[in-house]
Amino acid sequence: MLDSSAFNISDLTVSSLRSSTPILLAILGETLTQRVGIINLGVEGQMLVGALAGFAATLSFGNPWIGLLVGALAGVLMSSLHAGLCVGLKANQIASGIAVLILGMGLTSFYGIPYVGQKIHGFHHLLSAHWQTVPILGTFVSQLTPTVIIGLIATPLVGIWLYRTRTGLIWRSVGESVQVARATGINPAFVQVQGVLIGGFFSGFAGAAMSVDYTRDWVENMTGGRGLVAVGLVIVARWNPFLALPAALLFGGSEAFYLRLQTAGVAVSPYLLATIPYVVTLLVLLVSYYLANKEGGAPQGLTAIFR
Amino acid sequence: MHIELRGISKHFGEVAANADVNLEIKAGEVLALLGENGAGKSTLMKILYGFYQGDSGEIVIDGTTVEIDTPRTAMALGIGMVFQQFNLIPALSVAENLMLAYPKSPWWQSRHRPVWSTVLENLTKLARDIDPSKLVRHLAIGEQQLVELAKVLNLNAQLVILDEPTAVLTPQESERLWALVRQLADSGRSVVLITHKFEDVEACADRVAIMRAGRLVEVADARGKTIDEMVTLMMGQHQVAANPSVKSPQKDIQKLWIKSISAKDRRAAIVDIELQLAPGEILGIAGVAGNGQRLLADAVAGLAVLDNGEVILDGEVVSRLGRQPVNPNRNSKIGYIPEQPLENGVASDLDLTTNLSLHRLVGMPFFPKKQTEQAQAQKLIDEFNVRPSDPTKLAQDLSGGNLQKLVSARELSGMPSLVVACYPSMGLDILSTRAIYEQMFKHAERGACILWISEDLDDLLQYAHRIAVLSHGKITGILPAASADRQTIGLLMTGARKTA
Amino acid sequence: MNGSRVLRAEVFPILASACLFLALGAGFFLLEGHAPVALFLEMVKSAFGDSFAWSETLVKVAPILLCASAVVLPAKLGLVTVGAQGQMNFGAMAGTALVLSMMNGSAWVVLPLMLLTASLGGAFWGAVPGVFKARLGVNETISTLMLNYLALQLVDYVVHGPWKDPSNLGWPASANFPDAAILPTFFGSRVHLGLVIGVVAALILHVLVTYSRWGIALKVMRSNQRVALSAGLNYERNVIIVMAISGLLAGIAGIAETSVMQGRLQAGLAGGYGWSGFLVAWLSGQSFLRIIPMSILVGGLLSSADALQLFAQLPSSSAIILQGMLFVSALVVMNWVKLRGYHA
Repeated sequence: MLDSSAFNISDLTVSSLRSSTPILLAILGETLTQRVGIINLGVEGQMLVGALAGFAATLSFGNPWIGLLVGALAGVLMSSLHAGLCVGLKANQIASGIAVLILGMGLTSFYGIPYVGQKIHGFHHLLSAHWQTVPILGTFVSQLTPTVIIGLIATPLVGIWLYRTRTGLIWRSVGESVQVARATGINPAFVQVQGVLIGGFFSGFAGAAMSVDYTRDWVENMTGGRGLVAVGLVIVARWNPFLALPAALLFGGSEAFYLRLQTAGVAVSPYLLATIPYVVTLLVLLVSYYLANKEGGAPQGLTAIFR
Repeated sequence: MHIELRGISKHFGEVAANADVNLEIKAGEVLALLGENGAGKSTLMKILYGFYQGDSGEIVIDGTTVEIDTPRTAMALGIGMVFQQFNLIPALSVAENLMLAYPKSPWWQSRHRPVWSTVLENLTKLARDIDPSKLVRHLAIGEQQLVELAKVLNLNAQLVILDEPTAVLTPQESERLWALVRQLADSGRSVVLITHKFEDVEACADRVAIMRAGRLVEVADARGKTIDEMVTLMMGQHQVAANPSVKSPQKDIQKLWIKSISAKDRRAAIVDIELQLAPGEILGIAGVAGNGQRLLADAVAGLAVLDNGEVILDGEVVSRLGRQPVNPNRNSKIGYIPEQPLENGVASDLDLTTNLSLHRLVGMPFFPKKQTEQAQAQKLIDEFNVRPSDPTKLAQDLSGGNLQKLVSARELSGMPSLVVACYPSMGLDILSTRAIYEQMFKHAERGACILWISEDLDDLLQYAHRIAVLSHGKITGILPAASADRQTIGLLMTGARKTA
Repeated sequence: MNGSRVLRAEVFPILASACLFLALGAGFFLLEGHAPVALFLEMVKSAFGDSFAWSETLVKVAPILLCASAVVLPAKLGLVTVGAQGQMNFGAMAGTALVLSMMNGSAWVVLPLMLLTASLGGAFWGAVPGVFKARLGVNETISTLMLNYLALQLVDYVVHGPWKDPSNLGWPASANFPDAAILPTFFGSRVHLGLVIGVVAALILHVLVTYSRWGIALKVMRSNQRVALSAGLNYERNVIIVMAISGLLAGIAGIAETSVMQGRLQAGLAGGYGWSGFLVAWLSGQSFLRIIPMSILVGGLLSSADALQLFAQLPSSSAIILQGMLFVSALVVMNWVKLRGYHA
């Protein structure tokens, strides 16, 4: 018998948003990176490093905000490796991304050992006192955590920045054609480095959001492929930051859904249920590739390296 | 703005692209820079634009000697150039492309800001009918050219250099461009028109400067020269080789039937193409590039997805509705010289031996003998005069003309029933062109059909039996070459369907 | 080619990569408070110092070599797959299914069938992204990466669920394999048949890819699909075939690890061999011949990580860090040489 209280709409929405947030932030970052014509498969490694650094910083400073910042900066540090290899040395982007991924996995499982099993407090529910009294919406808003709100605000900001500012236009043009950008007087390498580093910032922040705000602990390989899923979901979102939220909700929503199924006591192995978000993402990826083949839409600079 | 080029010389390796050129460009004039391919016109203008550096000589603007080391310097001096390859980003809108190149574009670019109308001002003057919110990808070539021109004008250029601007235009679009060029000159700007067409000179030039083999051979008032005089100056006094002869086809038998085919892909579409060819017939396809030629050739060669119709060769279907099955035997029946051989005709990072054996690859023994293959390749290389003649060289190391010969060598070496040739003489000098034509027409004499796509109306009129005109993916008319004339074909190229 | 050019083109990059790697590794050891030179010597000794060290290294070479071949073959068609990890898991699962259904069979029946089902399982898990690529154009790098996680979860599911053996006292694993399902080993060590299969497969594939018509066809398809199509070559079919063979090789690696090393199916059987294989393939410039010595080097690196644990109390994950550093060093040097080459 299923426990129907597990499927309260407001609760499910909040838990979907919470589990989507890390992946949403990672998608936003990778969207910016891919928009300048660079693919970074190292997002997973950057997230792991961000998660560990953020967790450790929160633990020693006692302040989750510092944790988020440190996590994001750790992500920048990891991505600077990718930037140096791909933009500086023109290395193969796939290989370089995998190198970052391997390093990230190794470093975090090596230096993460003392943190396994530790607990942090995370954020206080900042808004709770005020909002709890408002009917219906109150409980909903009071459960939102800071990183969820940051993610929800960042999405339109990135979109507006990309489509409504000169720098956004320059970034898009670099991703479409390095030659034309150069002929226009833009320094493409400079823009591409920025794109990779800002992607690193977002993915490090995403990792920290996961360890500091979502699970509030550190486990080896805790991102569980979310960084790679994010790379796939960038394609699903058609390189459009505004579509990053629905794309992230595909994964986060199905994760929240299976966790609810589990707590509701459904008689299917939890290990089998855990495959749901991955299967859903893969299926959606197939569909969007099918559609993309008809319509296109990828930054032209990417198609040479990444078909 | 008054510009003087003094004693400009430029060498590329052994070749002298420009030798001691002295040229004056006056304010408010249209100067036609006339010459054959490779005469050094583009090089000269690219030196003025800062794209190349001259080996010697100087550039004087309004009495001051200037150093132009990059295009940015040229732009700052008020010199703009529209290349044959446009510097536009297809995935961005017209307005975004103009904004990107606009020197004073603001950081915040909301749709409602007045800066957009300033950015679009020049474009609106040039072409009121281009929708600025359209993606450049969806514009016709002629429209893209105008956007590129607007971009240059936005930089406040006092000298506008146009590199072969009418090469990609229909006769009607050309007329519009000529009028615009006159307008620019009347507003006090100078225009240099790089061209090899006399009609450009006649239509809008004030003066004509003629180049041959890197040297400036004549500068004169445009109205003071007849076409014959200009031809002699352009070509020099060299002998033209005897033309290959073409036999009349066997009329009533039908060998190739292109049966109302339609197809489309991301870049082009062809609609309801119906053609029938007799054995030995050479059918020329005329039209401005980009009107569906590539897709038509692919469809007939069995490489495109057909939405409708089929292609029948010798009573056998070679191309049918839907996706074409991979057909290992296609190569023995169809010789296909695609456009842009580097992208479409060769495996560029593999050696000549492999590239010359591609059409036989499927039938080779499982472990092919290297020596045998190389010997066969060497034979074809010698026969078609491919340089370098070393079969172990990579295809990407060949020049454009030699790639063209390489692909022709492979596709014309067997006994095809059908030859589909797209611009087979692209990048070749006159002698090599004759040689390729001879190889092609040899198959016609044997009784094969030739579907010959070309932009060179003179060659089509001379050698083809019939000429079909392709416009916007449709055949707008089929004329016997003997009774066809340039005017009628030009009209059909604009899409006006021939009335019976 | 004269001597000094060979030196510059071949030897210099290898030496420079090695130096950069040693420098990075030394920095890492110093950071952890260990004398680098002594530690490096200890590592070499524990990887190649005596016959036992060699045998433990070769045990690790087997899966690395198979996984490297699984990367190199698709690369010949221009595909970048990172799916060996998942294919190992899925192949092991398929092989285990067979073993669990024939617990009392004789080795002559069980072993070939186990290898066959594991191969088919791996081939299936490789063919799936191949079909995605061929039919829908889905990028194979992304799909193989995602399928890695899926395969991992499926193994988790079977060892926690239907195949969980009560005699393991709660540890999630299948029943122990019977002796008839253990691959033959050699010289009284743990070096097993997988190594032989790996070497033979790499050699056969080398011959096929270098000398056969199929090899030429792969090159043409990698270079230009349009031209390949007009030459009558079926790109899509070859994508699926190549991906299936790649998965098959990794599947064999998976069942070999399960059968010889673990003795039962349990999570984490693939270790990081898929990644090591990817690394080896890139370090060798996607060559079937060079992956053999390169696998031995990386295998040595992995087995010397045991020495690091013993002598320096460094966790085993230091091996992953060192591999990452090796990858970065090679990428830096290779591309630096290439860039300089263009400018010279």
